[in-house]
Amino acid sequence: MNKLAVVLVVVALLAMGGTEGLAQREQVRIGISLPLTGPASASGKAAEAGYRLALDEINKAGGVLGRRLQIFIEDDGNLPAKGVPIFTKFVTVDRVHAITGIFGSAVGVSIVGPAKLHQPLIAMLGAASPLVERGFADYPYLFHYHPWAYHNMEAVFNFMDFVRTGTGASTIAILYEDGPFGSAGIGDTRAELIRRGFDVPFMESFKTGSGDFTALLSRAKRHPVDVLFWIGFDADALPIAVQSREVGFKPRLIFGTPASWPVGYEGNPVARDVAGMAGWTSASPLPASKEFVKKYQAKYGSLSEEYMAPMGFVTLTTLAAAMNKAGTTDKDRVAAELAKTDAETPVGRLRFKPSRLSPSVHQGFDSDLWMVFQFREGRRVPVWPKSMAAGPLAWRWR
Amino acid sequence: MRWAGPAALVVALLVPLVPAGGYQQYVVQVATFVLINAAVALAWDIQARTGQLSLAPAAFFGLGAYAYTMAALRGVPLPVAFLLGPLVAGAVSLGLGVVTLRLHGLYFAIATLAFAEVVKVIFKELPLDLTGGAVGLTAPPLLGGHQTGLYYLGLGVLLLVVAVSLAVRHSRLHYAFTAIRQGELTARVLGVRVVATKLLAFVLSAALTGLAGAYATSRLFFVIPEDTFGIGLSVTALATAIFGGVYTTAGPVLGAIILRSLEEGLRLVLREGYLAVYGVILMLVILYLPGGLVSLWNRRSRDAAGGD
Repeated sequence: MNKLAVVLVVVALLAMGGTEGLAQREQVRIGISLPLTGPASASGKAAEAGYRLALDEINKAGGVLGRRLQIFIEDDGNLPAKGVPIFTKFVTVDRVHAITGIFGSAVGVSIVGPAKLHQPLIAMLGAASPLVERGFADYPYLFHYHPWAYHNMEAVFNFMDFVRTGTGASTIAILYEDGPFGSAGIGDTRAELIRRGFDVPFMESFKTGSGDFTALLSRAKRHPVDVLFWIGFDADALPIAVQSREVGFKPRLIFGTPASWPVGYEGNPVARDVAGMAGWTSASPLPASKEFVKKYQAKYGSLSEEYMAPMGFVTLTTLAAAMNKAGTTDKDRVAAELAKTDAETPVGRLRFKPSRLSPSVHQGFDSDLWMVFQFREGRRVPVWPKSMAAGPLAWRWR
Repeated sequence: MRWAGPAALVVALLVPLVPAGGYQQYVVQVATFVLINAAVALAWDIQARTGQLSLAPAAFFGLGAYAYTMAALRGVPLPVAFLLGPLVAGAVSLGLGVVTLRLHGLYFAIATLAFAEVVKVIFKELPLDLTGGAVGLTAPPLLGGHQTGLYYLGLGVLLLVVAVSLAVRHSRLHYAFTAIRQGELTARVLGVRVVATKLLAFVLSAALTGLAGAYATSRLFFVIPEDTFGIGLSVTALATAIFGGVYTTAGPVLGAIILRSLEEGLRLVLREGYLAVYGVILMLVILYLPGGLVSLWNRRSRDAAGGD
């Protein structure tokens, strides 16, 4: 009797394993690594919402290759010590057909080793550091969607040229956080602004999240400038705007480039006319963006202003489309189709080209991704480039 | 429980060989980071045995990591570059220790915290072609990046830290460290050269942390000031040692194994809110087991021996 029971249990387990294995084989699987906890979680959660919206849409339209698309979302906390095992788990346990997500550069560069070992197809969402670009040199399966850090600065320079031409602005004060986000290439940034005809009489670093900028802004006040350009994080946005007023520092434009803006910032009176750079705003006039906004509101009932939401959406939809076009999940054929992508997306036109520092890497968006908006009447109003502008640049800072 | 150490070693040796199916490489990856955490926590504990609360592990970890990376990128053979990690960290700690080890308690803790911050800023501000500035550098992998080989190298690093810890425990240094911790005046009366002994503990700890840093970098392939010198590493070392049991060899190692496995397991099972559960467990252990997890073991041993 006991023997019979053991045999039945073993057979049942084998059957379950077999069924599960079959079900797993039948689905197309994609692993998504995102920072859902920690300081970058606002971006990670926005991207997750975008991925889930795309998943619904893809599966509603018949899935990938006629099979249901399955995603595995894991929280890497933006930490290499979590990101590396997660990456390996995707490849060896979940046996995914492609990996996407990967927001932070530290995680991006730390997976270079495992990536070169397992050679999966990667559709990288973020990770803008040139370390990642160089690390993946000679890797043929990396599709990097987000612009690199130097693309971001190119967009800043182009916007500054627009400001100078339109307003006659000629002086800039720069405040930058002392981490890699704010400090990377800051010397080159200053040199380039000077080369473009600006005077940069004041440039200092700060510790992000410190909350007290009064000493720094008081020193900056000694150099009356047209533009205050700050590079930092969401936690710095409000103190800079409030304390500029407090110390009587009155640049004609405050322009910040945090990765995300604090929730509710647009509703704060001190935010009025503060300019920021974003990969997307819900006020974008692009038809694909309007469509995205409609779908997003239908699914979530609210609206995200985080550009990582449409970025996540774009990454998964283009990846799934490439698999459908390839007619297979074979990574070489999917990569070949993905490389041919030419799509109007909510964040602009997506086409891959060889990356500047590592031509084997397929680079998606570049400096054209970025737009500049100003906070006005509780909204983000795009003001640059002209093709995206919904209003003029409000120049005199109040 | 004399069998526990050898048994743990056998298990550690077998980790890459256990047929865990698809999970095998994943388990090896997680185990590799457990080894790094355990080495840093135990190295921190060695100097903590003198009663000093150092918040500088991140600085020594980063110094070891940068020493390895910068030397390797300049053509120094990788094994030599690897050994430069502990040497540089040890040498710098000697200088810092001479200046700060006369401080006590919070003053020493703040001095070491400030030092960690200063080192991070220096590495950010040094010329780009030297340290890569705020962006950092990519590091060449040891052993060609071979995963199993790197796991065993990490195990070797941890075993070295364990060996040093045990050597301290079974030498006269243990009594000197304990005497200093319980009162420097008493230690002096007992003939202990207090500052020299504290300095020895500090340098040993820093060199071993630097070794862990060099190893971690050869595994992660990069150094970035903000991450490599991140204060989170110092806090994790401290929390791991306290969770497992301070002033012991087994405690920090056990703490690293349990904490990392717990975090990974909770993440896989709960998905949402796993860090909250993890935090609650951490708090409960610290509240109700002030001696750490090893105190459970010691209590059982006492009960078995009929002690009070």
